[in-house]
Amino acid sequence: MFDIILRNLSQRKIRTALTIFGIGLGIFAIIVMGSMSENFNKTFETSFALTADKIRVFGSSGIFGGSVTTSKAAEVRKVPGVYDAYGLLMAPLEEGGGMSFGGNQVIGLPPEKSHTVLGPVQVKEGRDLMRGDRYVTVIGSSIATQYDIGVGDRIEIQDKYFTVVGELEYTGSFFDASAAVPLDIAQDIYDMGNMVSMIFAIPEEGVDGDLLAKRIKLSVDGVDTLSPSELEEEAKQGLMIFSVITVSAAVLAAIIGGLSVMNTMLMSVMERTKEFGILKAMGAERRDILLMTVGEAAIMGLLGGLLGLACGWVAVSAMNLWLVEKGIVLFLVTPRLVAIAMLFAILLGTLSGIYPALRATGMSPMEALRYE
Amino acid sequence: MNDAEPDIILQTRNLKETYMQGKVPIHALQGVDMEVRRGEMVSIMGPSGSGKTTLMSIIGMLEIPTEGSVFIDGIEVTGVKAKEIPRLRREKIGFVFQHFNLLPALTTLGNVEIAMRFARVHKKERIKRAREVLTEMGLGDRLNHKPSELSGGEQQRVSIARALANRPAIILADEPTGEVDTKTRDLIIGILRRLSDGGQTVIIVTHDPWVAERTDRVIRLVDGKVENS
Repeated sequence: MFDIILRNLSQRKIRTALTIFGIGLGIFAIIVMGSMSENFNKTFETSFALTADKIRVFGSSGIFGGSVTTSKAAEVRKVPGVYDAYGLLMAPLEEGGGMSFGGNQVIGLPPEKSHTVLGPVQVKEGRDLMRGDRYVTVIGSSIATQYDIGVGDRIEIQDKYFTVVGELEYTGSFFDASAAVPLDIAQDIYDMGNMVSMIFAIPEEGVDGDLLAKRIKLSVDGVDTLSPSELEEEAKQGLMIFSVITVSAAVLAAIIGGLSVMNTMLMSVMERTKEFGILKAMGAERRDILLMTVGEAAIMGLLGGLLGLACGWVAVSAMNLWLVEKGIVLFLVTPRLVAIAMLFAILLGTLSGIYPALRATGMSPMEALRYE
Repeated sequence: MNDAEPDIILQTRNLKETYMQGKVPIHALQGVDMEVRRGEMVSIMGPSGSGKTTLMSIIGMLEIPTEGSVFIDGIEVTGVKAKEIPRLRREKIGFVFQHFNLLPALTTLGNVEIAMRFARVHKKERIKRAREVLTEMGLGDRLNHKPSELSGGEQQRVSIARALANRPAIILADEPTGEVDTKTRDLIIGILRRLSDGGQTVIIVTHDPWVAERTDRVIRLVDGKVENS
């Protein structure tokens, strides 16, 4: 039956090619948008994994950004169950740059805590920040690529020059786009006085992070906390909304491709009315006609899926190659995304072929034979 | 099963077919009773609108009669479930059409072989049988030609080969010589005659008295009824 299906498809080359192209366009959109979503998911997961043990403490004046004073870190440190606590100042690296997901940022941290903050990430070259450091920085791999700098080079932050003393390995997390500088210097260049963006509280071994977060909130005045599980929950919700928006747009494009398959198949079924009559007169069963018609649609879906996948893969690889010069990795094609896109393409083709197939099987053989 | 004589391969009983043309009922068949013996070559004749094609499509299980029964090879085909019809059609009927109705995308061999696919015959066997039957039809050197590359007579011979592929009980030929010249007509009727002499039942719907004269018996239809002569 497969040879008949292929022969039927090759009989209408241009129409088949255009339909495959339609589906391909939809799957291309799924691959591009989906790989962006996959990349954000991966970045979050990696970032989260690298800081999963830490409780975030903010000023209670706002969520996710209410600043606190450095002195609050000492209060947090006194809460039973807290192993250590220190303030961090997060600010955009480039002037006018926001603290967007994936944007370059400066992390001001106590130099002696450098190993703890950046700890899970290996220093590829150079060293961590050390007590007594002033205008020096440890940069992530994306910043190194984007600015084309390494250990010993200088980078301008807020009109001040910082010497790079260390370069971190690539992790696929927000650390890649971070430049760590001593906290007091960061507060100075960003005019933040003794304010920090948040305090990282590290629980003692065996202490439950969620319970400790509550305890900190109750024990220290004017702070709010985000336990690791709360952070994960909030971030996942945000990522899900992002994924739904991006992937929905792509799915819509693919569904339009699916409608083109249905249109092609309906035309094909109409043109082949007499042929179906002949086949039925020869004893073709309902399943034979169904298989033939749905098979054609499914193969167009499969070929469209492969085309969209190949073009999408090439496009995101090219864009990643271009963006890597700017220190950004925006797309990630995962096996899960490939499987979903291909399954969607085949399913879309198959489902689009069902209605035309039912029309074909429902024809009276005699009427079909009379059809001109 | 019916109680007909064992050598009766086709029997119709009080076959009626009425369809609506707008709001007007058209009585295409008004109680057709006929019998055909195994190996017989019968022609059905009658003027246009006499119900010949309707009768042929009901015998070929392409349409269901409004009333009455059709027995083929002892089976009441008008009483079986719809899903059984394609199998019975494959086993009992081989169609030969006036306009050949070959599939243009397939070769001669493919056109004959495809009929056996639906009977789930193994590929090797399909190819072997298709070659044999096409060679019998004198088309051994035309196996890989498309219908558009064949003459009318050759196309009709492919059509006969296709009808024979599943070794059916009856060959139903609807105006098989309507589209060919007299030389080819002689050839086609000669083939059908030879098949009948070999034991194959052949029913031909025709307008052509020359064709009818060369069959064993003529059944005349007038206004949807068999005319008794």
